[in-house]
Amino acid sequence: MAAAIVGLLWLVAACSPLFAERARTIQLAERLQAPSSAHPFGTDDLGRDLLARVVTATPISLAIGLVAAAVSLGIGFAVGGTAGYFGGAVDLALSRLIEVMLCFPVLFLLLALAAFLPPSPLTVIAAIGLTTWAGDARYARAEILRIRQLDYARAARAMGASTPRILVRHLLPNALPPLIVSAAFGVGWAILAEASMSFLGVGLPAPAVSWGGILSTAASLIDEAWWLALFPGLALFLTVAAYNLLAEGLRAVTTEGRSA
Amino acid sequence: MIRYVARRLLLAVPTLFGIAVIVFLLLHLAPGTPGAGGADSVRRVSGKAAEEMRRLYGLDRPLPEQFAKWIGRVARLDLGESFVDHRPVGERIREALPNTLALNGLALLFALAFAIPLGVVAGGHPEGAFDRASGAALFALYSLPTFWAALLLQTLFCVQLRWLPLFGTASDAAPAGLAGLGDRLAHLALPVTCLTYGTLAFVARLVRSGVAEARSSDYVLAARARGASRNGALWRHAFPNALLPVITLAGLLLPALLSGSVIVERIFAWPGLGRLYFDSILARDYPVILALSLLSAVATLAATLAADIAVAAVDPRVRDGAAG
Repeated sequence: MAAAIVGLLWLVAACSPLFAERARTIQLAERLQAPSSAHPFGTDDLGRDLLARVVTATPISLAIGLVAAAVSLGIGFAVGGTAGYFGGAVDLALSRLIEVMLCFPVLFLLLALAAFLPPSPLTVIAAIGLTTWAGDARYARAEILRIRQLDYARAARAMGASTPRILVRHLLPNALPPLIVSAAFGVGWAILAEASMSFLGVGLPAPAVSWGGILSTAASLIDEAWWLALFPGLALFLTVAAYNLLAEGLRAVTTEGRSA
Repeated sequence: MIRYVARRLLLAVPTLFGIAVIVFLLLHLAPGTPGAGGADSVRRVSGKAAEEMRRLYGLDRPLPEQFAKWIGRVARLDLGESFVDHRPVGERIREALPNTLALNGLALLFALAFAIPLGVVAGGHPEGAFDRASGAALFALYSLPTFWAALLLQTLFCVQLRWLPLFGTASDAAPAGLAGLGDRLAHLALPVTCLTYGTLAFVARLVRSGVAEARSSDYVLAARARGASRNGALWRHAFPNALLPVITLAGLLLPALLSGSVIVERIFAWPGLGRLYFDSILARDYPVILALSLLSAVATLAATLAADIAVAAVDPRVRDGAAG
């Protein structure tokens, strides 16, 4: 079910170039029109079709969410995995680093990075990736710590396998299922983070369409145009919920028969 | 116990140092400073502000010297002056703090008051009708973006029904004293709701899974065998054990609430710390940005420490084990 919604979202994203023209067309005569048969979601403050704009924003949100989550997961698993595998002083030092990152309100760091770096999709991805990896790292550390105690990892070491070989051939494949689960959660998170940034005006720069950006316009027109808030928010909510649902489903599948 | 506390405090020292380093790095990302590259002209700070920053942070000195100088000032609780109105940063933070505390304190209170009974009842009958229904509702709340929820609530209660004010902390013509209390509460209702539901969903899910797990444990079965009622066993035996992970994570609720405050205080024009931080970002008011980042991280560290020590105080497994 969740996979179907996510699939549908990517399908919408694939079709979005068909709507690009409509999303750009400014018709001031038709500004702030309520939903009608001509404009099913209504129009925005410049008379642009809201449905087309919500559709056009889909691939951007999905892509940024996916790449940012991958960056966050990459850093997180590198730091957490290293800490968990080597233990001792390495673990102590890297665990402090994870703790440091967890102490900051994520949005504080996101805003600072986004505001101080030149505005671009790359900045948004880097800001999300650099600020949200600590949770993944903590998770990866615990997971690797658990796996390396298991018999097959110890057997591999006893047989004289090298550290990189144990890591890549034995630990990584077994850490993969939880990795995929946190990736799915991470995408939902990253999409939400991007929307929050765009909502606060430090996300994607102007010509790019973003759900958070449309909602930011909606906030200033709250007593005139409810549809501006309703539809892009609904798209965002469904996307985040679909990825979270997918993650929960994957977790249920991967932990089956593995309970303690 | 003393050993555990000492070890925990000792480990906090490098963390504190790490926090200071991150905040210091933040300063060096700022346009107009040596670390900033490729910033466009709009984002470049004015000559006067750049000069002020060079003087304040000694940006022409070598990095370790700058860091030592900055740490020295922070250690003496000298947070500097705001670039915007040249008042001490501490004063601006003290003005905004009560507003944020009121908002977040109420949000935390409501979140716990609803989340705990919800979690215990749902966890008491896993996969029961209540568990399924509340699970679906909590999942939806968990995925609901704060700013969208805020906009929908504003549309419904402020624009359509006209029951509640759109934003601010009080009406302009609000009477003082007790009569003004209702007006204050009306202004608090929506922002507190928006800050509450995320924490509520998070804590309730945590309590629920803890209780569901503890429910089938030996000590709950033993309690039932001794004749404890179903509810008695649930609340007296399963719930305290489920509470431990909640306490452990309580310290980390603080940064999450502050992140939420940035968005909620912006939408509801609430003059608290989140709003101050956001305005300072837009105005490139570096002393305020650095002070707020540093203070919030240090407060979180302190809260996490307190939570860890509290858990160790009630759970001997934690203080005897080498859990670090």
